[in-house]
Amino acid sequence: MSAETEHKHAGPGRYLAVWIALLLFTALTVALGRMHLAGSWGLLVALAIAVVKSTLVVLFFMHLWDHGGANRLVLATTLVFVALLIGLVLLDSATRFPLANPPTEATMRLMPPGPGAAPRAVPAAEP
Amino acid sequence: MPAAGSHVAHHFPDLEVQSHAARLGMWLFLATEVLLFAGLFTAYALYRMLYPSAFLGASKLIETSMGALNTVVLITSSLTVALAFHYSRQSRNRLAALLLVVTIGLGFVFLGVKAVEYAHHFHEGHLPGRFYHYAGLQVPGAPMFFTVYFLMTGLHGIHVVIGMGVLTWLAVGAWRGAYGGDYTTPIEVGGMYWHLVDLIWIFLFPLLYLI
Repeated sequence: MSAETEHKHAGPGRYLAVWIALLLFTALTVALGRMHLAGSWGLLVALAIAVVKSTLVVLFFMHLWDHGGANRLVLATTLVFVALLIGLVLLDSATRFPLANPPTEATMRLMPPGPGAAPRAVPAAEP
Repeated sequence: MPAAGSHVAHHFPDLEVQSHAARLGMWLFLATEVLLFAGLFTAYALYRMLYPSAFLGASKLIETSMGALNTVVLITSSLTVALAFHYSRQSRNRLAALLLVVTIGLGFVFLGVKAVEYAHHFHEGHLPGRFYHYAGLQVPGAPMFFTVYFLMTGLHGIHVVIGMGVLTWLAVGAWRGAYGGDYTTPIEVGGMYWHLVDLIWIFLFPLLYLI
């Protein structure tokens, strides 16, 4: 077995190259964070860089580049469930009646109709 | 170096099958860890969606340079763990043990920086929920940012401490020559745990410090 696995395991050079790449991406994300990109671009760019960095860690430090198969399937399944959890919770909250969410800047001044609210027109009873 | 055969449990035909099983088992465990943190990332995403301006303002109260420093510390500690695994495969056990000790030291540096940050937040009143009493930013959602901040960095810090414990055990074993050559599964699997700690921080850093 060792001949094959020795071949598959690269030397410390690859680890050092990944480490330098991770440091460069960290410097990049800090620099871009200082620039305060407009709107949600800052968040998107920062997350994209984080995804690239984590891909490097998973593939080379955690050896998913060399050990594929079921290990990759486990990680992919995990990510699907993470996406489902975050995606569905956000979809639920974003499509709710606003006052059904915790009070925010936008809804703090709104009051639900209470005893003091103006009486609404009651439809006449059907004969 | 001990004979490879002595490490194979009787229900595995050989060491390679055992290593594959251990690796797959670790990935399954890491899957549960990722999903544990995913709950907190979901909370972050939800409250960020509800309180966008409060999150923007509150994240400015956290010192970016401290987070960047800790990112560099954790990335470097990931490198030293990976190198320890590499040299353990070459049966250079003392070198592997030293690299693991360096990793533990970097873990202490990380916790030290975090302690300085926490002390600052406690002093300023950047605290979760109803304990929040910072006069400079009184908007709905700011206490929630610090609730999420302390939960995420706190759970991550607990993982750092557990990882340092695992690495201590591995360093002692490596120094005594318990691993090496074909049998490096404990260092590989323990290293994967430490890399996961690094992975989580790679996402925590931009979300909490940079936004």
